[in-house]
Amino acid sequence: MTSRRGSARPLTLALCLALLAALVSCSGGGSGPDTTLRVLASDELADMGPLLDQLREDTGVRLDLDYKPTNDAGDTLLTGRHSYDLAWLSSDRYLRLRAKQAPAGAAPATGVQRTSIMRSPVVVGLTQDVARRLRPKAPGGRVSWADIADAAATGTVRFGMADPRHSNSGLAALVGVATAAAGTGGALRPEDVSCDRLRGFRSGQTLTAETSRDLLDAFAGRPGRTNALITYESELLTLNASGRLKQPLVIVHPADGMVLSDYPLLLLDPARRDAYDRVVKWLTDPGHQRDIMRRTLRRPVNTAVRRDERLKAPLDNALYFPDDPAVLDRLLDDYGDPRRRVADQVIFLLDFSDSMRGARTTALRAAFAGLSGADSSAAAKFVRFYQGERLTAVRFGGRPLDERTVTVHGAADLTRLEDFVADGGYDGSTAIWSALDHGYATAERAVREDPGRAVSIVLMTDGENNAGIGRTTFVSRYRARPADARAVHTYPVYFGDADAAELRQVASVTGGRMVDAHDSSLSTAFKEIRGCS
Amino acid sequence: MATQRTETDRPRQTGEPRLKVGAPTVLPSRRSRVRRLVPRVVAGATALCAFVVFVQGHVALPFTRIVTIEAKMASKADYFEDPEVQRLLVRHGFRVHITRMGSRGIAAQNYDDYDVVFPSGQPAADLITKKRAAEGHPATTYRPFVSPIVLGTYREYAETLQEAGIATPLPGVPAGAKPLYYSLDMEKFLRATADGQRWTGLGIERHGIHNGNKVLAQTSDICEANSAGTYLGLVSYVWNHDNIPQNATEATRFADRIRLLLNDQGMPSSEQNDTYVSAEGKSIAPIAVIYEHQFLAHQITAQADSGRADSERVLLYPTARFVTEPQFIALTPQGDRLGELITKDPDLQKRAMELGFRVKDAAGAASTSDALTRFLHQRHIQAPVLADDDTKAVLPRLELLERMIEVVGDCDPVAQSAAGGEAP
Repeated sequence: MTSRRGSARPLTLALCLALLAALVSCSGGGSGPDTTLRVLASDELADMGPLLDQLREDTGVRLDLDYKPTNDAGDTLLTGRHSYDLAWLSSDRYLRLRAKQAPAGAAPATGVQRTSIMRSPVVVGLTQDVARRLRPKAPGGRVSWADIADAAATGTVRFGMADPRHSNSGLAALVGVATAAAGTGGALRPEDVSCDRLRGFRSGQTLTAETSRDLLDAFAGRPGRTNALITYESELLTLNASGRLKQPLVIVHPADGMVLSDYPLLLLDPARRDAYDRVVKWLTDPGHQRDIMRRTLRRPVNTAVRRDERLKAPLDNALYFPDDPAVLDRLLDDYGDPRRRVADQVIFLLDFSDSMRGARTTALRAAFAGLSGADSSAAAKFVRFYQGERLTAVRFGGRPLDERTVTVHGAADLTRLEDFVADGGYDGSTAIWSALDHGYATAERAVREDPGRAVSIVLMTDGENNAGIGRTTFVSRYRARPADARAVHTYPVYFGDADAAELRQVASVTGGRMVDAHDSSLSTAFKEIRGCS
Repeated sequence: MATQRTETDRPRQTGEPRLKVGAPTVLPSRRSRVRRLVPRVVAGATALCAFVVFVQGHVALPFTRIVTIEAKMASKADYFEDPEVQRLLVRHGFRVHITRMGSRGIAAQNYDDYDVVFPSGQPAADLITKKRAAEGHPATTYRPFVSPIVLGTYREYAETLQEAGIATPLPGVPAGAKPLYYSLDMEKFLRATADGQRWTGLGIERHGIHNGNKVLAQTSDICEANSAGTYLGLVSYVWNHDNIPQNATEATRFADRIRLLLNDQGMPSSEQNDTYVSAEGKSIAPIAVIYEHQFLAHQITAQADSGRADSERVLLYPTARFVTEPQFIALTPQGDRLGELITKDPDLQKRAMELGFRVKDAAGAASTSDALTRFLHQRHIQAPVLADDDTKAVLPRLELLERMIEVVGDCDPVAQSAAGGEAP
């Protein structure tokens, strides 16, 4: 009995091992026939290339990737005219928002299955020099988007950012900084973006590209002028590790929140489900997640993976992402082409009648000082006067008294403007319509000299009109002006003993909006209408 | 309804013999250590083979016919993706191939080629069973387990809510331990959202966290997920003074009232629980609407992996409670067999409990909770002790809830989507 048993053993063992080998071989291979999937991918995912060879070896699925900037890829998917089986985007938020605008009954473009593969927030890389200048001024040393916007407005930060119309990193940055600028703590609504609070931020942009990869190359290739880079944490870490920079960038996770991308793999063709499942299984396996993390420095979604030291620090809050396509449209319109020069002009019509003496003039000076950088609130950092901006101040009483225009290149220009506003004689009466007519003459000259210039008028008065031309005269002169001058809106600030009805008329005739400084302060009212045009 | 039956039968013992993988009956021999080891090696290899077979599931053994069930489900895929459940199912000749999507999404799309759909709650299930009945294909429904809707959060956030008088630890915290469960005063919590309170305003900085976002709970996509739709119902119930709308006009009015409470989060992330358990969860969604079973499953896994529960993640039980009832809808005879099995098989029911679900048994809900409590205590995990006097929230009638979902989430109506067929 013992001997028979003994002879049976090797056979059993062999059978078992053979079975085991068969099972292991087919399980490791992902159990399916060799196949190719056509994938439309974000250009950033080019760094996954070497891992995809391994994926093919293990699963039999070859991913044939076409790279595009993420938002362009989304636009391609939305046409419905493509032959892709899968899409692998840095984020599908743009796609999902645009799909909401698709006509009812259109084929859904957002995929039938969705699996997030990894994560990375869009953050800011600063040269050591700039980091040293910004950090000590930031509360707790934690630099925010507001601090970046402030430093961009003064010319301290000169940043590179991919084009938000094409690139996901650019869009995530734009939404991040706009959400921080709105400062509501919620997702952006259309009313939060009715005025463009990012002009100061934008004035600091010196480098752009359609893709974040081109942006990185351009930055690394031409060091010097640009001293900050806004892109994925993973790309900044990779750039730092590459040795292409003389000094690594200091990576700042903005204190007022950031937008994370989650690299979803989308199944477009339900018939390719089996191969899709094999790919997803492989990509989310802990071992491969670790490989992905090591290669790309994106954050793994698999919780079993031991984190790289550089990815261990906890992130502060993510920002809520708007889900209203109108918000996206407005943000992209306002930001426009990053290559285009930003050149705005604001004409301030300031009432210097006798009633402005004392506290009211002090409040006015404080409002100008605040917009020149003295106000350290987050809101003020976004809407402060910025480099390249043209500012015209007109002092008026019973007639226009004096006018001064500065183009902001530095603190000295703002000091000149403040001095002009501060040191003034007063006049006995108030000629609102005459001042306004003067303002439009100035505006007309400005738009004629530079048709690309966005011009707006701010009218601040504390009394009723009691001198100069009347409303009808103003309106007929206004109507006689060329269209681009008529397109200049006026934002009246209701202050002191002004006539609210009269100011509302000004706003409605010119297409602007009245703000009430009684509710808050002159400073707050000035901040509220910054960026409106 | 004639097409539905509630499973209250006492679970029956399956007649099938258990597969035994043990050492062959060989008498111990003193002659050789190696010889004694041989049978163990053989047994080990056999066990490994068997294990691989069962884990793999899709490898059909020559003597067992394995049926593959095509199923659409949402979060309840957690149950069918559990290796132990898969092993048990293979023993009964089943393998389940899952297409994962939100419950309302399941109801909205075509499910003709599927054996089973398993939406996470009653509203989506009702949409499906009604449609099936109208088409002359009544479906059988099984309710293998239930799970309350809850809010998953992190210790710093729970403590901040506690300091603000919005949350209170549940009783029964062991001496020296930190609470794992809190009761969330829904009215105060929603009031904070409505007032535009922000975490900075509640003093989250004192807990070492920086977050200027509004205080609110984040949900999955309300057009897709049962958890989000159920939370909407819960919010409406609380915000409208424990009332539910009685007609379409009221439903629209109620929905308009709560719209902002739910929409400030902006674009929802696809699956709240995936985010919640991830390392970035605390930054992305510090308060996430999930199911109790997802939290308990996380804690049970954490305990098994590291020897202790995850004390960083804690749970908020809304004072207005709602227990979701996932409904396993069988569309084919094979699906029926599987529904029968998971509802009645004691091992599968026990495993459901071990995955954090509240399973039903003959004695009713109370003993169910007792079993779960005992199990958690065995695993050295705190168990939630819920007060009996909490409000039991009521959801509006199906078509009124649907209307509210459409209003709040700007979602396509389900009937229209179904007519459009499955996404290509």
